Amino acid sequence: MEEFLRMEHVSKRFGDFYANKDINLTVNKGEVLTLLGENGAGKSTLMNVLIGLYQPTEGSIYLNGQKVRIDSPAQAVKLGIGMVHQHFMLVEAMTVFENIILGDRNARGVFIDREARKKEILELSARYGLDVELDKPITEIAVGAQQRVEILKALYRGAELLILDEPSAALTDIEVEGLFKIMRKLTEEGKSVIFISHKMREVLHISDRITILRAGEVVTTLKREETDGQALANLMIGRELTPSQYEKAEQAGDPVIELRGVDFQKTSKHNGLNGVSLTVGRGEIVGIAGVDGNGQSQLAQVVTGVLTPDAGSVDMKGSRVAQFTPNGFILENVSHIPEDRNKMGLIGEMSVKDNIVLKSTGTPEFSSGGGFILKKKAIRGYALKMQEKYDIRCASIEQEARNLSGGNQQKVILARELENNPDLLVAVHPTRGLDIGATRFIHDTMIEARDRGCGVLLVSADFDEILEVSDRIIVMFEGQVMGVYPGKNPPIEEISLAMAGK
Amino acid sequence: MKNKLVNILVPLVSILLAFVIGCVIMAALGANPFVALQSLFIGAFGSARNIGTTLARSTPLIFTGLCACFAYRCGVFNLGGEGQFIIGSIVCCFVATQSGIEGLPAILLCLALGALAGGLWAAIPGLLKIYRGQNEMIISIMLNYVATLLMGVVYTNWLRDGTVPQTAAVPDATKLSRLFGLRVTTAFVIALAAGLLIYYFLFHTSKGFQLRAVGLNMTAARFNGFAVKKYILMSFIVSGAIAGLGGSAELMGTQYRLINGFAAGYGFDGVAMALIGQLHPLATILVAIFFAVLRVGSTTMQAATGVPTSVSDIIQALVIVFTVAGLAMVKLPQFKAAVARMFSKKEAA
Repeated sequence: MEEFLRMEHVSKRFGDFYANKDINLTVNKGEVLTLLGENGAGKSTLMNVLIGLYQPTEGSIYLNGQKVRIDSPAQAVKLGIGMVHQHFMLVEAMTVFENIILGDRNARGVFIDREARKKEILELSARYGLDVELDKPITEIAVGAQQRVEILKALYRGAELLILDEPSAALTDIEVEGLFKIMRKLTEEGKSVIFISHKMREVLHISDRITILRAGEVVTTLKREETDGQALANLMIGRELTPSQYEKAEQAGDPVIELRGVDFQKTSKHNGLNGVSLTVGRGEIVGIAGVDGNGQSQLAQVVTGVLTPDAGSVDMKGSRVAQFTPNGFILENVSHIPEDRNKMGLIGEMSVKDNIVLKSTGTPEFSSGGGFILKKKAIRGYALKMQEKYDIRCASIEQEARNLSGGNQQKVILARELENNPDLLVAVHPTRGLDIGATRFIHDTMIEARDRGCGVLLVSADFDEILEVSDRIIVMFEGQVMGVYPGKNPPIEEISLAMAGK
Repeated sequence: MKNKLVNILVPLVSILLAFVIGCVIMAALGANPFVALQSLFIGAFGSARNIGTTLARSTPLIFTGLCACFAYRCGVFNLGGEGQFIIGSIVCCFVATQSGIEGLPAILLCLALGALAGGLWAAIPGLLKIYRGQNEMIISIMLNYVATLLMGVVYTNWLRDGTVPQTAAVPDATKLSRLFGLRVTTAFVIALAAGLLIYYFLFHTSKGFQLRAVGLNMTAARFNGFAVKKYILMSFIVSGAIAGLGGSAELMGTQYRLINGFAAGYGFDGVAMALIGQLHPLATILVAIFFAVLRVGSTTMQAATGVPTSVSDIIQALVIVFTVAGLAMVKLPQFKAAVARMFSKKEAA
């Protein structure tokens, strides 16, 4: 087969961090190449290099054997590289036709010859089986149809190589089948496809070759016939079990929270829960493992009262929860380290001090007269104490919380959430984006809370973190619990397969 | 600290710039800008009488400014200050002229019912936002027209006084007393008190703290257990009550009767005051007084130098434009980078 794209020794560095390191990769004409890798393995960065959003720090890119420089997305389009993003880039109020011709640089003259254009588009759509209704606005067509519009848009601009970033994420099973048919059709016509996905089943179904990325580097490239799901999962996760530095708790105490058959928008595979049952006991850390966007966020929000489940029951310390409100759960002594510290955890424009006492200004400790007179001195004194205890590094506790580094922001939240000895701590990606020191501090703090008898529900897309601190591991995939595994000597291969949906 | 400095500097520089441009316009009109400005300030401050007039002029602006400020602090946009102000004054007009009560009891009743009416009027956009997801800005603006037209019915039909389309004047005993015999009345004192109360509430009570938290980050406030919807509704009601109180005080203190044009423009003026005052209630009061200075002084300026009062309007508009643009500008990353470079150069030198 003839080669279309070749990337040689491509690296992309941000500061000292290599998002991509020495990547070698080829895509042939008429094949589907899959990029497989965990969150943060460098797939998106690599694709952004390919479509001209990033300039590679080193290395070169060849198209049809010619060395090229792709310094803008427009240049990428000119060279025949088209991308369909996971989140579609369509103007919702415009029609399908308008979206397809929007921004086409080959426009001839001032006026648009609608009929001629439509004819061209219809020809393309018939050729590749891309069935769309040209005159409908985007808002009125299904997600699968929107995706076809995106693909058509790329083809209309002359794409020879199509990058599909997790294209099946938003689709129903039938729509996925349709997508695969289109991909087949494209490759039959000699076009190339780069397919990005986490889902083993789909990857094994559609790929010709599979390139596995891990920590920014290419692990290997395999032909589909040469491999199976287990082997791919191992290569993708790529870990030997390193013994955790924490003692694992083997026996949990009384259940703090118990979910039975909890549904939340269960038809949504990526933002829903489907019959989730699980228990967190006192003195244990339950780690929820899984690729991002398989219902973990919704789980965390149900057990903190932010979302109300559609069906099923939640028992808190033995009694049924009737009403789901964050305040109700806070009164039950549930603490929450939310997934997005800036959006959900902190009031960025308020000071460190204010954020530490955020929940408790109405208590007699910090105000008198039923909240009518804030005890500013007491608040300040307490905040200073917390700053020292949780090692919050800031110029002053009057500094705005948004100006702190991620690690210190997280410590502010920890100080607020852990100081009242919670019965249940729900921590979602608590160390995302943090350096090793801050990560270690946060893990230590969670272990300490556990040893005090707090139940901890840890949601993390970082598998290492799950292995490091969890006493039990639960894997979620498409809103469902795939299995429960012990935290001591965990069966890594089984878990990694479960994470990929097998 | 640096932030606070910027917050004060931006409006000051904006005012300065607006005056510079105003001077250029005056010069282009053939007047001596310095003489004109001098007469403007004499008109506003030149005598006790003038100061009294300026403060009286500032009073309704303070109320609508505080009204906008309070809602903004909770993260919602109440652009209906004018309507709430008018509704307050309508209720006040009914009580003062129809109930037969006069004197202090009537004044207190008018103030209380005016505030209540304004609050209820403002609850409409609040409830529609919370329960129906309607845009509070549009609803509150539309309600301004409803209130204005309702007032029209009041002074042309229901409470029309004789042949002129206006209501009867508030009885003398129910008029707010003047301070030191000047035009300024106790309404101004009430406005200042309202400002101080709001300031205390926002910055020294637990509920005020939570309200600000809701205003700055609704999602985080919800995750931290605050009843966000309750705060939003409360902020609308209180904000409307302030405007309604203002309408009542304006009727009993300055205008005495409802008439075409009563309160025209006060609502949006208030929004501008609050924005220039950086949503700080005390700063909003200062800004309102400053605008009153420009308005009162411009009449003297026109009489003395022939510079039309519209030049003063231009200056006011420029202050608003520059402040809003300036505050947006200092938030730009490029601007921050430039400032940081300047500071680091200074340190190096």
